[in-house]
Amino acid sequence: MDLGYINARVRGMHSRLLGQKDFDVLMIQKDIPSLASELEKTPYKDEIQEASVLYPGLKGIETALRMNLVHTCQKILSLVEGSDAEPLVLIILARWDIHNIKTVLRGKHVHVAPEEIEGALIPAGTLGEPLLREMIKQPDVRGVVDLLATWEVPYARPLTQCFDEYASSRELSVLEYALDRFHYEYAHSLLEGNKEDHEVMRKLLQLEIDSLNLKNALRMNRDKVDTGVAEGYFLPGGEHIPLEKFSALVSAGRIDEIAENLEGTPFAFLAPLVPEAMRTGKFSVLEKELDKYLTKKGSGVFRSDPLGGAVVIGYLWKKQNEVVNIRIIARCKDARISDAELEEELRHV
Amino acid sequence: MEQVNPTRMELIQKRAQIKLAEQGRDLLREKMDALIQEFFRIMGSVSRSREELEGLAEDAYRALVIAQAVDDPVALRSVSFATRKQIVLDIGGKNIMGVPVPLIEKKRFAVPSLERGYSILGVSGRIDETAERFESEIDLIIGLAETETALRRLGHEIQMNRRRVNALEQVLIPELKAQAKYIKITIEEREREDLFRLKKVKKILNRKKRGRSLAGGETAGKV
Repeated sequence: MDLGYINARVRGMHSRLLGQKDFDVLMIQKDIPSLASELEKTPYKDEIQEASVLYPGLKGIETALRMNLVHTCQKILSLVEGSDAEPLVLIILARWDIHNIKTVLRGKHVHVAPEEIEGALIPAGTLGEPLLREMIKQPDVRGVVDLLATWEVPYARPLTQCFDEYASSRELSVLEYALDRFHYEYAHSLLEGNKEDHEVMRKLLQLEIDSLNLKNALRMNRDKVDTGVAEGYFLPGGEHIPLEKFSALVSAGRIDEIAENLEGTPFAFLAPLVPEAMRTGKFSVLEKELDKYLTKKGSGVFRSDPLGGAVVIGYLWKKQNEVVNIRIIARCKDARISDAELEEELRHV
Repeated sequence: MEQVNPTRMELIQKRAQIKLAEQGRDLLREKMDALIQEFFRIMGSVSRSREELEGLAEDAYRALVIAQAVDDPVALRSVSFATRKQIVLDIGGKNIMGVPVPLIEKKRFAVPSLERGYSILGVSGRIDETAERFESEIDLIIGLAETETALRRLGHEIQMNRRRVNALEQVLIPELKAQAKYIKITIEEREREDLFRLKKVKKILNRKKRGRSLAGGETAGKV
């Protein structure tokens, strides 16, 4: 399909995203019911009305946000079908596929009730509801892996390869790590062309991998994980955090050593926050800044080539950011967190 | 007052009982003092742990709210499947001044991120931090369960002891003393009655004797 038409539709959808003024209005709402009625004046109206019948209060708002995100992703997926932007969208939506596969595997691993597993799924990815329902019906982890292989889902490959290791160790993380690694490998394999869009997406993926490696290196540094062991958790494919830097970050004995290693990377802005995070063990502060940075980069591609496929990617980042921000407002209102602290938690981009 | 036999034997018995009750009361008082000392010692650590637990719970709840807000509660539920496991603890017991208190095995449930059962590559640090906070809370709750149970049992035992001491002091000992006093008074009264009766008999006998001797003298004069 013509990317010009797709981008025009996506721009139309982009114009309906909430602006700063809308967020200000949402933030001054006193409680959940008033927040829900305010959301009824936004493009979330239909989902809010539908979800509030099923679940009142906070759960209703969260369900509505999830429903809206799922509708948006499915709409985008149907829009880009067959176009050059399709692989880019598939990479973005794959994060929900990974979430869904992991959820079913986790549920089957500890024998969770099928209804409970179903309640933890987000069908915003490329795996359709019939496949997800079939996966839930499987009796065990083996059944889920076999089903994915039968349906020729690409994610069956790493799971089949690592299944024997899982069967002998009964460690579910074996399958999860295989799945995470494959996700990035598979994403890179979809971006083998020389198109500008692919380059933009490749850069975004590299940034995402770098930020993941950085977060994990700092976590492992705090937990005093042996460098040899830590290297096993390194995700290849990043740009600014190669294996040597990753190992140096894991083994850094002093805080200024960590800051030194961040110099010259796009993550140098984290250096002033590292001492506090290492002292308190609260990495969420660093993670929040990293997420903000990633979202800024991801949403920024919306303003790239107006006839390129990256516009869709930028929109999806912005949409996800919007959903997260509304959820933060709802959760903070529900937990009676002060407005100042709420503002602090928001991931405005 | 309970019916008692006002006999010397009974008085001896009552005095022995009073002595025993007083010894018992003193022993119970000593035990209570020791229990109170132990109670306050444990209470210090319990109130410190309570404050720590409150702080930790607040932190954990805050981390949970943020993780739910940013990562979606559904993502948290999914991760919770991977970490779902039972907590098995060995519970023994020990005695503090005869009060059985539990001894719960000290086990750490806070584990490094790599051992939680999920892939850290796909789980945000917020969720990890939430898990960490709640694990520390569990560790503290288990420690607190031991000391709080001990504190509750000691408190109960102190209360029981106080009731026993009060019962001895306010009821049993005064009653025994009253009984002993009653027996003593009764015996003394009886002794006085006996003495009076003996004097009376002696007087009658003397009078009779005198009467007989007077009658004998008159007969001899006539003869």
